[in-house]
Amino acid sequence: MGDLVNENVLLVDLASGETEEEMIDEEFFGEHLSGAAANLALYERHADGDPVVLGTGFLTGTLVPGGGAGVVTAKSPRTGVVCHAPLTLYLGAELKYAGFDFVVLKGAAQAPTCLWLHDGMADVKDGSSLWGKTAWEATDAIRRDLGEDVIQVLSMGPAAERGEPAAGLVANYWPTPDRFGFAGLLGKKNVKAVAIRGMGLFDLSDEEGFVAACMDLAAQAKELLSGKGGGVGPIAAAMGEDIASWLAPLTHRHKADFGTPYAANTFLATDQDPSVMQETQVAEPGMLLTDAGDVLALKALGMDAKQTARALAVCARQGVDPAAAARLAAEQGISDADSLEKALASMSCPAGDAPPGTMAALAPDRPVFGGFGDLSGEAARAEWWNRRQAVGAIFGMDPRFMCMAPFLTEEKLCELVSLGAGLTVDREKLDDAVNKVLGE
Amino acid sequence: MELVLDPLKCIECGACELACGYHWDRALSPVTSSIMVYRAREKKNYFGLILKQPEHLVLGRPEGIETQRIGAVTEGREADASAKPIMLREACDLCEGFDQGPLCVLFCPTAAITAA
Repeated sequence: MGDLVNENVLLVDLASGETEEEMIDEEFFGEHLSGAAANLALYERHADGDPVVLGTGFLTGTLVPGGGAGVVTAKSPRTGVVCHAPLTLYLGAELKYAGFDFVVLKGAAQAPTCLWLHDGMADVKDGSSLWGKTAWEATDAIRRDLGEDVIQVLSMGPAAERGEPAAGLVANYWPTPDRFGFAGLLGKKNVKAVAIRGMGLFDLSDEEGFVAACMDLAAQAKELLSGKGGGVGPIAAAMGEDIASWLAPLTHRHKADFGTPYAANTFLATDQDPSVMQETQVAEPGMLLTDAGDVLALKALGMDAKQTARALAVCARQGVDPAAAARLAAEQGISDADSLEKALASMSCPAGDAPPGTMAALAPDRPVFGGFGDLSGEAARAEWWNRRQAVGAIFGMDPRFMCMAPFLTEEKLCELVSLGAGLTVDREKLDDAVNKVLGE
Repeated sequence: MELVLDPLKCIECGACELACGYHWDRALSPVTSSIMVYRAREKKNYFGLILKQPEHLVLGRPEGIETQRIGAVTEGREADASAKPIMLREACDLCEGFDQGPLCVLFCPTAAITAA
């Protein structure tokens, strides 16, 4: 294992069920860097298998504040363009610590399949007992069968099994910003879920220098976030909507993605007193809100916070992109979760217009707490957002924290890669990688 | 000096585990740390911290702190499988030899772990 990386790609031939570990060297990383840019190179190398590529960045799973995300790359069935969506929560870090920098899922399995990645091993398992289950049921079943409650599960729900264009990937129990139909692609490949547990170890090229730099950034993060609160509220506020008091009566606790000092997710207790902190017998007391944009889309339909949380839970169980579900609800005049659930079960959910660009929008299109200089004008803001998201996706950074932390400059991220992995990333190389990721 | 846990401030980012793992291994690993985030009840959003001290296990549950003497058996209570790995790890030595203080304290973004 090299510094900060496993130096490998797992190739999964779904048609045969065979897996192969391919070693990659410094030349690969020097040319394609990591994360979304490396995913793209692997996508192109295996394009004949219409691959779905799961990848990690140099800084995924490290002490760099915000260094917790992975990235999934594939050709979007909705846009026909190769796009990237973040692997959220613990998925990215878990993949890296499971022993794989990249996983290429090629072709299609003959029967429902579940991929189990752990300890540098990859098991292609029979997934027929999972087929037909909701994403929540599938995650529960996988964790129960494999015997550990912290296994990370990337799955799809019944919507993807039906070939719905608006199907979205689910991370454990919560929606991901899969706006590109990647879940439907996994459905066509008969891959119900990818289960991941990571217990590896990574050396550092300059261990003291890397940790000292991370410590300095952690101190800056504390200063930045002091008194800012947490959850989706401040992110929605940056998008122009104050929903703090709307959320407050149901807010339980905020929760972060791996390695990210801002807790960007808010758990709403819909079926339990939100002030109760001890574990209760209520098996499913609420819903984790992961995307402020989704929340605002449902709120705009007239849903209160409880109905919004329940509607998002419906989307997560069924594996439907919440943004698409909100469009369906708007078309049908639906303003409660039960009606949305019935509608999703009985009719095709329109995917709507294809999302623009190549990067999934989880982060707001503007700085959450300011500090990035003059970004007046839509064009300047879009250019800033695309570049921040692409750089973050290349290095393994949380997309929302990239819109919060001005001190995470490109120069600083390159310096961290140099300290951690011993690899020099110059401006020209990064520009080239960013342009490729953005499809420019 | 000792570590003080405030589990309700924990946001489950896991930075403490990596920082502690670095102390023991001079590498990045989440599985050798003396402190771990308890996150086995994801659907309930129930999470906290577990700290292994030389003679005690400090359970930082959201509803409060409980300190158990290692080896003592509490009748009628069974340890959660997700908490067992920490029993195999080194006990916290407050990052002995590191003069800036415990690394988990330095990396915790919310003061869920402090030194007093």
